[in-house]
Amino acid sequence: MPNVIACFKWVVDEAYVRSGASGDLDLSSVDYKISDYDKNALEEAVAVRERSGGVVTAITVSVPEAGKGVKDALSRGPDKAVFIRDPAFRDLEPSQTAAIMAEVIRDRIPFDLILCGEGSSDLYARQVGPRLAEILGIPCLTGVQKITIEGNRLVAERRTEEGVDVAEAALPALVTVLPDINTPRIPGVRDTLMASKKETTVIGKEDLPSLPRETMKTLSMKTASLKRQGVRFTAQRDDVAAFVDALVRKGVLE
Amino acid sequence: MDFKLSEEQELIRKNMRDFAEKHVDPIAVEIDEESRHPAELFSKLAAGGWMGIPIPVEYGGSGSDYLTHIVAVEELSRSCASTGFTVSIHVGIASMLVLLFGTEDQKKNVLVPMAKGEKLGAFVLTEPGAGTDVMAATTTAVLDGNDYVLNGTKTFTSNGPTGDFYMVFAWTDKAAGRKGMSAFIVPRGTAGLEVGTHFKKMGLRSSQTSEMVFRDCRIPKENLLGKEGAGLVMAMTGFDHGRVGIAAQSTGIIQAALDESIRYSKERVQFGQPISRNQAISWMIADMATDLQAARFLTYYAAWMKDQGKPFSKEAAMAKLFTSETAMRHTIKAVQIHGGYGYVKGAKVERLMRDAKITEIYEGTSEAQRMVISGNVLR
Repeated sequence: MPNVIACFKWVVDEAYVRSGASGDLDLSSVDYKISDYDKNALEEAVAVRERSGGVVTAITVSVPEAGKGVKDALSRGPDKAVFIRDPAFRDLEPSQTAAIMAEVIRDRIPFDLILCGEGSSDLYARQVGPRLAEILGIPCLTGVQKITIEGNRLVAERRTEEGVDVAEAALPALVTVLPDINTPRIPGVRDTLMASKKETTVIGKEDLPSLPRETMKTLSMKTASLKRQGVRFTAQRDDVAAFVDALVRKGVLE
Repeated sequence: MDFKLSEEQELIRKNMRDFAEKHVDPIAVEIDEESRHPAELFSKLAAGGWMGIPIPVEYGGSGSDYLTHIVAVEELSRSCASTGFTVSIHVGIASMLVLLFGTEDQKKNVLVPMAKGEKLGAFVLTEPGAGTDVMAATTTAVLDGNDYVLNGTKTFTSNGPTGDFYMVFAWTDKAAGRKGMSAFIVPRGTAGLEVGTHFKKMGLRSSQTSEMVFRDCRIPKENLLGKEGAGLVMAMTGFDHGRVGIAAQSTGIIQAALDESIRYSKERVQFGQPISRNQAISWMIADMATDLQAARFLTYYAAWMKDQGKPFSKEAAMAKLFTSETAMRHTIKAVQIHGGYGYVKGAKVERLMRDAKITEIYEGTSEAQRMVISGNVLR
C-alpha cells in the first residue's frame, strides 16, 4: 500500500492576466488556480490509491493566501495536505521550492511515490520535480504518460521525441506527469464542502532551516505582443511568389 | 460589509465553470435547436451534487446554502440558460417546497431522490386563464375518503414532460378565498394525470414545457403538501425562492452577452481597427459590465437575505425584475455588436436574446414584480 505525495503549485490563472498600459503584465485583478499539470499529478495519486490502496498527501509551498488552493487540492481526492506557507514564499525559484519540499518530506512524510506535474502553468521551468528527486536521492522519471506499480517497482511510459520509452525504477521514486496520463476530475459540490474537514498540516518558515538564497533576479516582465501587418495575398501566380518571398524575408522559410 | 464569496463558494463557481465548459457548451446549440432535454447531462449534474446544493445532507443534498446554489445556477446559465433554469426550478421551487413544508415521509420519499438528482421536480400552478392572477385558477381538489381527487387543466408547466414529482396547486375550498388553495405532490404516472407534449418555444427551448390535464386524478391524502388552505402562501414562498433563481439565470445570460461582446468586438476589424475601439461599441460594453455588476449584487443580496433567515420577497422581486430586464436589453445590444453574424443560428448571442425574453415573463412578469415591490414599499 504505497504512500503517495502529490506536489502542486498555486499559480496565477493566465485567463486573468491583462496587458498594462506600457506593455507590462497587469496582475492586479488575477485569480489563482492549481497549475494545470499538477491537477494530473493529484488525479494520478488518487488513481494509484484506488488501485493499490495507501494514503495520498498533497503538498505545496506558497503564500498564506494559497489556503484556497489547499482546499481545491483536497477536494480532488487526497486524504490530507501539507501546507508550507509564509508571506516570503512568493515567487520562489525552483531550487528554493525543491529544497523546502525536500526538507519537509524527508523527515515528516512517509512516501513511496512522489508525483509532480511536468512543469508549472506559469514558468514551466520543469525543475522542481528533478531537483526534489536529486535532493532526496531517489530515481526520477520525467515526461510520464502512464504508470504501473508492480510490488516495489514502478513501470513508467515516458514520452520522448523519438517515441515511447518504457522505464523501470525501484520505489521510492519521483515521477513528473504529462497531461495525457489522465483526465482530472471536476470536484462535486460535496467534495469542495468537505475539503476543509480533511487534515492539513501547516508548516511555517520558522519550522524550517534557512531558505536557500535566490540565484535569479527578475528585471521585468513584458507581455508578448502580436502585431498583424494586414498584408493580403490572392491565389494569383504573382501573389504566391510574393507570399513565399515574404516568408523568406521573415525567416520562416529558408 | 463583505462582498466576498467564501473560498468554497469561489471553488464551487470555478468547478461549475469547468463542468459547463466540458459538458454543456459542446451541446448547447444542439439542444436548443432540437428543443431536447439532455438527460445525459442531468445525470452528470446529479453525480456532482449540483441538483440539491441547498438541501441538507440527511435529505440527499449537498448541505450548502442558497447563495451557493444561486452561484452555480448563474455559472451554468452562462453556458445554457435552459439548463440553468431546469436546475433552478427543480431545486429552488420544487425541492425547497418539500424541504420547507413537507412531512418527514415526504422528505424521505420525495425530497431525497430529488436532491440526489434521481428525480426531477416541477411547480404546477399556472393555468390557461390564471397567470399573474393566481386566484383565477379553476383546478380543484376534493377529499373523497382517503384520497384527494384533482380536476383541472394547468399549462406552461416547466419540467412538465420530464418531471417525476409535480407540486400541484388546486382549490380545496374556493369560497375561503386566499385560504382556500392547497398544494399536492403528484407523482408522474398517476392515473388521471395526462402530461401534454412539449411546447416549441421562441427561446429556452431545451427546458421542457407542457400542459397538464387532471381528470379525476386520485392521490392519497398523505400527498397533501403542508396544511390544507396554505397553498397560496406556499406558492408565494416558492416564487420568492424561484425568482432569485431567475435572477441568477438572467445574470448568467448578461455575463455571457458581455463575454461574447468583448471577444467579438476585439476580433472584428472594420475600417482598419477592431470595432471595440469605437466609442459606440465600447460604451455599450461599459454599460453591460456595469449592469452585470448591479445584477449580480442584487441577486446575491436576495440569496444572502434568504440564508440569513430574513424575509426576502421584495429583494427577490427586485433582483428578478432588474436582472431580467437588463438581460433583455443587453442581449439585444450584444446582437447589435455582432451585426449580421449575431443574427445567424448558432451564434451564441442570438440564443441569449431569445432565452432572455422569458426571464421577463415567467415566475411573475416584470409587471407582477412591480406589484410586489410597490406593495412592499408603499405599505
